[in-house]
Amino acid sequence: MQGIRNSQQAKQFRALLKDPLLLVVLLFLIFFVVVAILLPIFSIVGESFSEEGLPLFRRYVTDPVYQNIVLNTLVMGTLVGAVGTGIGFLFAFVQVKLDVPFKRFMHFVALVPVISPPFALATSAIVLFGRSGSISRGIFGVRYDIYGLNGLVFVMALSFFTITYLNLRGMMEALDPALDEAAINLGASRWRIFRTVTIPMLLPGIASSFLLLFVEAIADLGNPLVLGGNYEVLATRIYVTIIGLYNPTGAAVLSIILLIPSLLVFVVQRYWISRISVVSVTGKPAGTPQTIKNPYVKWGLFAVVMFICLLVVLLYGAILHGAFVTVPGVRWDFTLDHFDFVLNGIGSQAMRDTTVLSGIATPIAAVIGILIAYIVVRKQFLGRDLLDFGAMLGIAVPGTIIGIGYILAFNTPIMIGDVTIIPKLTGGQAIFGGALAIVLVYITRSVPAALRSGVASLSQIDPAIEEASISLGADTVRTFRKITLPLIRPALFAGLVYAFARSMTTISAIIFLTTPQTKIMTQQILNEVENGRYGNAFAYCVILVAIVLVAIGVFYALVGTKTGAERRTKGE
Amino acid sequence: MNEQSKQVLLKLVDIVKEFPDRSGHGAVRAVDDVSLDIYDGEFLTLLGPSGCGKTTTLRLIAGFEIPNLGKILLEERDITQQPPNKRDMALVFQNYALFPHMSVYDNVAYGLQSQKMPRAQVKDKVTTSLSIIGLAGLEGRRPNQLSGGQQQRVALARSLVMEPRILLFDEPLSNLDAKLRVQMRSEIHRLQRSLGITSIYVTHDQVEAMALSDRIVVMNKGKIEQIGTPEEIYRYPKTRFVADFIGRANFLPATVSSTQNGSASLTVMGKQIDTRAPFEIEVGTVVTVMLRPEALTLRVDASLPQGVIEQAMYLGTEIEYMVRLDDIVITIVDNDPRKQHMFAEGETIGIDFIPEAVHLLPD
Repeated sequence: MQGIRNSQQAKQFRALLKDPLLLVVLLFLIFFVVVAILLPIFSIVGESFSEEGLPLFRRYVTDPVYQNIVLNTLVMGTLVGAVGTGIGFLFAFVQVKLDVPFKRFMHFVALVPVISPPFALATSAIVLFGRSGSISRGIFGVRYDIYGLNGLVFVMALSFFTITYLNLRGMMEALDPALDEAAINLGASRWRIFRTVTIPMLLPGIASSFLLLFVEAIADLGNPLVLGGNYEVLATRIYVTIIGLYNPTGAAVLSIILLIPSLLVFVVQRYWISRISVVSVTGKPAGTPQTIKNPYVKWGLFAVVMFICLLVVLLYGAILHGAFVTVPGVRWDFTLDHFDFVLNGIGSQAMRDTTVLSGIATPIAAVIGILIAYIVVRKQFLGRDLLDFGAMLGIAVPGTIIGIGYILAFNTPIMIGDVTIIPKLTGGQAIFGGALAIVLVYITRSVPAALRSGVASLSQIDPAIEEASISLGADTVRTFRKITLPLIRPALFAGLVYAFARSMTTISAIIFLTTPQTKIMTQQILNEVENGRYGNAFAYCVILVAIVLVAIGVFYALVGTKTGAERRTKGE
Repeated sequence: MNEQSKQVLLKLVDIVKEFPDRSGHGAVRAVDDVSLDIYDGEFLTLLGPSGCGKTTTLRLIAGFEIPNLGKILLEERDITQQPPNKRDMALVFQNYALFPHMSVYDNVAYGLQSQKMPRAQVKDKVTTSLSIIGLAGLEGRRPNQLSGGQQQRVALARSLVMEPRILLFDEPLSNLDAKLRVQMRSEIHRLQRSLGITSIYVTHDQVEAMALSDRIVVMNKGKIEQIGTPEEIYRYPKTRFVADFIGRANFLPATVSSTQNGSASLTVMGKQIDTRAPFEIEVGTVVTVMLRPEALTLRVDASLPQGVIEQAMYLGTEIEYMVRLDDIVITIVDNDPRKQHMFAEGETIGIDFIPEAVHLLPD
């Protein structure tokens, strides 16, 4: 038996060799994962376990200041996870289980944070609710100190709950209404059903949402920089260690400390939660979902969600409004100076660079993501799980760490003997003024989204459809081009849009990689915020969002949305 | 088909196919040392319960799986390693596997276009094949705008238009409702007979297999149990498994009273009968014989063995009885429309059988 199994693997390998195109693609993908993702991470590991690194480890672990920073980070992550999951759950619950007006509006509000720069909300919160906030001081007359844990949790929960919302909403919709009906039939009350059926079924989704938000929160750099005040977390300490102290070794050591909970969550998420999930998505709900009729519950929940929506609208409204006034929160005269500064000053280069680099990275990331998805779902060979895992690290690892990894890995050319394998990528003197490193980081951070949506849509396509094509005489390439690709086009499209928005709005991963030659908008926004020029920052944000929206429009026009797979993918 | 026309088209030689099992450490043998000749022009069915290896065998023939051991020969040419798109076969899938983003026309034309056939010729062939299959006028529709039966026809047309050397069917009717299944079954029968195209058909439905096939291959646990015409398989099953799987069967003990070259005298339920004995049996031993339910009758006759009716079900075309005789329960079907009487549950009654229907099984 063993012999036959070995020969099986040998056969798979030979089949791979027989398909040279597939082999080339596979080697390219492996090369990408190794160089763009694994190498930077291993550079950090190497640096922190070096002779200079190890004593720092000992110092950081025993130093109360650093212990406090770690504690701060964990507390913030936990709170953001809990509050954000709560908000996401509420939004999802209202969408799926309540029959109330304004549901589309709520959905739209929940999606807005995806296309907004990461710390736009933080800045806006300062203007509205800070010490001189136009609401806190202007209306209520209090000098509220928004800097610190309170403000961070408030802003981050509102910025990140979109994932939770989409996650839980999908699961709630997939819940078979027959389960509710069965419970009612057995005499259970609404509340009892909620406690004993709905919640337990959603528990894996809730847990995974919490973990996602936890990681997102502890990995975030923009918000703590803007809003942290004296509340220091690992991400900001890493930033200070690099930018202020220029101590890459110290930053690497701190990165490892931040990496541990992030990777732990990633692994738990990947190998445990996916397994205990009990919601089976059959695609064919066997009944109509029951809506909640109790008016107190219904309108109570409605009021809470509407209040949160209005808060979000208010915060974003303040950004839009603030872009057109002299000094937001202080002088309300109408002005176009901020836009003049952005469009005709330094900003114009940042706009161009950011858009061009994101535009280059997006299709590449989409192609890489879809190719990995195709190979992972459809091809049999040893180590395909590793390929998937490696690619996913691009997002599982906090952006700050990726950025530092790039500095460590690519600050000098990588040579074997006298041959340059990879030239110096980071810093002003690097090729393309360091732009290549930024594009690579954009790709690295975007591939996972394309990969996951690719895997999801490929698993929906019955392999028999591809086999039918082969059986009718088409080869692998023709099958992929004519059958697979058109069927996963909507997923590809969603992946593209998401990847582009993500690249345009990212800060943590590229903040260490921008150079005088290559300017990035989020970095510029941060500069303006740190210097208190909120008007300029808001103008940047407005333009950034506008670019993203225009790009989405262009994508829609080019790619179209009503393609094959939006009809039925099962071939039935 | 007469003996002279029997030319072997496809030959499976000692095929073994294993898959890794759930744990990933061991292996499951899906096809276990299968050898099989398929004749030119015949309709052959692979029949068996789920997990018997019939679909894997079909996929090996189609080329979607490569055997661990053994060879596949098409017209004496070794095609074991040949990729599926190079094999002159077309597979009709269980769930049709129509391309959802293409029209009916594009679905049917797809294979011909892969061959780079000129456009006009493609059009000709597609139109002809759609009209043969009764789908003329639906060229512009999408698969999801068709009924289940129409989708199945498109799938069939898409394979037929390729004029393959061998047509493969993987349980093509299992997604259709009962009425439509019967209708499509006779359609496939008609088409195959008129086109004379060699077909290999996989099903777990024995009625379908009997209705369509020239020969049936009954498979169980990766092995071939029996190959034969529908009649041979039904009347003379070689094993207890085949007897039980095809139709319904009663297994009764019989005592061997004498044997002579290829036949034997047995005592079954007190009655002395003669039957074929294609294998060695010893005089005096107890053997197992098979009797189909319709070969048994119930009669008020005190000289017959007396059984008690445990269950009586009126099914319209027949009446089905479960009758206890000593420690075994015998299924008896009465499908004689001349008889109007139905015996009641609990009644004690005489059991008789048609001696010619007794079939001896090996142990």
